[in-house]
Amino acid sequence: MNRPPKMKWRITRRRFLLIGAGTLGVLGVGIHAGLKAIIPSLVDEFATETGGGSGSSKPLLWFGIDRQQGVTLYVPKGEMGQGVQSMMAQLAAEELELEPTQLRIVMANSSQGFDSLHGTYASSSTTSLYQPLRQAAANLREMLRIEAAKQFGVPVSEIIAAKGACFVKKKADRQLEYSKIVAAKIGEWIEPTAVKLKSRQDFTKIGQNTPRVDVRDKVLGKSQYGMQARVPKMMFGAVARPPQFGATLRSVNPGDVASMPGVKKVVIDIANNFAGVVADTRTRAWNAVAKLQLEYVNGSNISQSELDRLVTAKAGEGTVVRTRGDVNEALKNPLVAAYRTPLAAHAHLEPLTALVDVRQETIEAWVSTQDVSLEVAALEKVFGKNRPIIVHGMQMGGSFGRKGNQTAIVEAARLSQAAGVPVQVTWTRKEEMQNSLYRQPAHAVLRGNVDRHGRIVALEHTVASGDILTGSLEPPVGSLLAKVYQIDLGVFIGLFSPYQMANYRVYTRLIELPIPTGLWRGVGLFPHVFALESFTDELAHSVKIDPIEFRLLNLPNTAEGKRLKAVLAEVKTKSQWANTLPTGIARGVACSFSSNTAVAMVVEVQVGGSERSKSSLAMQSSHFDFAQSSPAGTSPNEDIGSPQPYFVPAQPIQVTRVVIAIDPGLVVNPNGAALQARGSVVMGLSSTLIEQVLIENGAVTQRNFDDYPILRLSQTPPQIDVHFVASDLDPQGMGEPVIGPVAAAVANAVFALTGQRLRDLPLQLKP
Amino acid sequence: MSPIFSNLNGKTATIPDDLHDELLIWVLHDTLKLNGTRYGCGAGWCGSCTVLVDNIATRSCQISAAKVVDRDLITLEGLAKGETLHPVQQAFLENPLQCCYCMTGHIMTAVAFLNQNPQPNPAEIDAAMDINLCRCGGYNNIRKNVLRASELMRGQS
Repeated sequence: MNRPPKMKWRITRRRFLLIGAGTLGVLGVGIHAGLKAIIPSLVDEFATETGGGSGSSKPLLWFGIDRQQGVTLYVPKGEMGQGVQSMMAQLAAEELELEPTQLRIVMANSSQGFDSLHGTYASSSTTSLYQPLRQAAANLREMLRIEAAKQFGVPVSEIIAAKGACFVKKKADRQLEYSKIVAAKIGEWIEPTAVKLKSRQDFTKIGQNTPRVDVRDKVLGKSQYGMQARVPKMMFGAVARPPQFGATLRSVNPGDVASMPGVKKVVIDIANNFAGVVADTRTRAWNAVAKLQLEYVNGSNISQSELDRLVTAKAGEGTVVRTRGDVNEALKNPLVAAYRTPLAAHAHLEPLTALVDVRQETIEAWVSTQDVSLEVAALEKVFGKNRPIIVHGMQMGGSFGRKGNQTAIVEAARLSQAAGVPVQVTWTRKEEMQNSLYRQPAHAVLRGNVDRHGRIVALEHTVASGDILTGSLEPPVGSLLAKVYQIDLGVFIGLFSPYQMANYRVYTRLIELPIPTGLWRGVGLFPHVFALESFTDELAHSVKIDPIEFRLLNLPNTAEGKRLKAVLAEVKTKSQWANTLPTGIARGVACSFSSNTAVAMVVEVQVGGSERSKSSLAMQSSHFDFAQSSPAGTSPNEDIGSPQPYFVPAQPIQVTRVVIAIDPGLVVNPNGAALQARGSVVMGLSSTLIEQVLIENGAVTQRNFDDYPILRLSQTPPQIDVHFVASDLDPQGMGEPVIGPVAAAVANAVFALTGQRLRDLPLQLKP
Repeated sequence: MSPIFSNLNGKTATIPDDLHDELLIWVLHDTLKLNGTRYGCGAGWCGSCTVLVDNIATRSCQISAAKVVDRDLITLEGLAKGETLHPVQQAFLENPLQCCYCMTGHIMTAVAFLNQNPQPNPAEIDAAMDINLCRCGGYNNIRKNVLRASELMRGQS
């Protein structure tokens, strides 16, 4: 897309709630940033990467003001570490004229206001709420000023709003806090129209490094993530897992599980492919479920080699999703290369978790989720719509796409219904590793050629990719897309080359696999940019042009092209690209464009030689005692092996420095944005260098962080420089775009250093 | 007779009769409702459940509660003195991680480490902190925060 997305937004609720009177007065101001229903919205968002639309009849976010709590902002976006609550506070505080810390931010539950699907996805929270939230805040501020003028008996022009109160001009002693104005109000509120928003140069909150609103509680251990949801009489559930993907439960022999200590209920529900246990502690629930004798049938026996064979693109095979010029004619003597990205896990540290209380009259749930609406929908599917369902979104301990559509909530609900008590289900790490919704495996064949001036003449890109989104769509849409068009809606992000060759064609083919795959940070972005930007590097080298110059030469003068050129120019300067590096170090570059954010990245790598990372972990150092931590006199659940001091395998490829230039539009909170960028680099490096979920006989072979390592501190480049390029645009995506160029930048640097062109992730040097 | 923690964050606390063999993490998290001690892997690899046992960083998912009743236990909740944060907490507040779920482990490990090595160099910090995972990738903030906390601690002493 060359244009920033146009957000359609409107205020539709002009009736304000004034509940009670006097000190109980509550003012609610609601606003819609309307979003379309799921299918068109997904098509819009993922196919063209724009948001917008309209449709909901309930407010998407709103304020409440009362004497007890002060000013509260209800937001429907989940906090998973992106700092969304703090950014919302900054946006609102700017127009409401108070400090972000004066706002109480509440993640709205599913019964509070909104009923359409607007989860926390696709790096869209700040982008989509930037305009409507400020407008709601500005309108509310004006209402408060008008009412304050009445209460003081002065003209509105005499009232100044600041720091959460209204003052009479030049009379600082005449002031009323917002909550007092609301409390003293009698009668209807009238919402003003056409309240003008501040222009950017007048911002005092947006663009500042405002401290996060959620961190103090987090350093004190007071925060409640989903796993710390608690209600009276709650018990713990554990659920049987099939030994192979797709296996169906045929029979369960509970043996004497029901009489094991602490076991409250054994639930066997063959029709729903479900067996589980409710017990008074997690350990007892896990131990009990492990004792169920389960018979499963019809599981997949897919092997890793079969998976790789299935997910193999053949040039020109699949559905054409973009074409221009005449690729067949123009592709003379093409360079051809194929790239592979494997299955990967999200490996968020807080596993899936849900606490559900199924009662006769209502169902209430507390869940780590990116989307409370989807959680409600999941419960409605099982329990119908004849009683109110309320889902509370909790703080998430990481997610990266995984907590978009949980199964834990349904599992906990089934167990709660059977046991008659609230039940929390928390997946073990092994369950997470072996029963997840993985990043889709992808394979791409690229064919291209370059003229003697270094311009790309033709590019043909064929992708074979596992399912990202289509599998989660309701029939018949999902199956129609899958079977007839063989297309996946998630595949489009990051798919299209930003370069301006006259002849261009893209094929994609959705590979249906017995292994569940789905949303993972950036969805298509990571595998596509690895392939595209590695290949761009190969094309540049084929005509012996500097990789940055080659990119600048081939980018168009569109808005998108110009923004990419700007970040490339910036990263060239900041990385001292022109300076020669010492022997043994080399640089690589890559860029990408997604969620309307342009990113360019230069990495420096070294290979082999270093014994640094072979050193033992500090497991026997004096401040940490693993021996003391050896499993105690208990029967450990099966996930607890016998941890030994272990060694970080030597990483033959070491990334020593990363320099990033980003144009994400206006940066609401530079520290927060830089943290997101560095986090994307670390997660991207982990996938580039280490991670791969391995399949054997229809199951994942790994079970924990010893056999599925993720990037550690000692493997993280000490220097990850983040530079924002100034932009006139409103805020654009920040949570995912930076993961795009990581793998290609590293692979390109490895090529520059060693001459080895590595095309399979994770990158492994040939001996 | 129920075992009793003789010193858990400066107080005593009772372990219910039927949980003598329960892992420390679940007694802290589920019985005593201490939110800071977090489950991440149940096998000692990630470090989110780290607590201090006699000032040594210890994986609470790998040790039974009964085994440590007569030891000095400190959890994340036991670091601050009233409203005053521990210097390590202060450093992480000023320069946070992203989701902060794993932060407990980094804070507790850093406290134990800095008690023994008040003036670490960057290589020592890397070695000491390498035992804890952070999926959000906040490792460079962790490096900085441990250094910053060591300065704060020296400034205070």
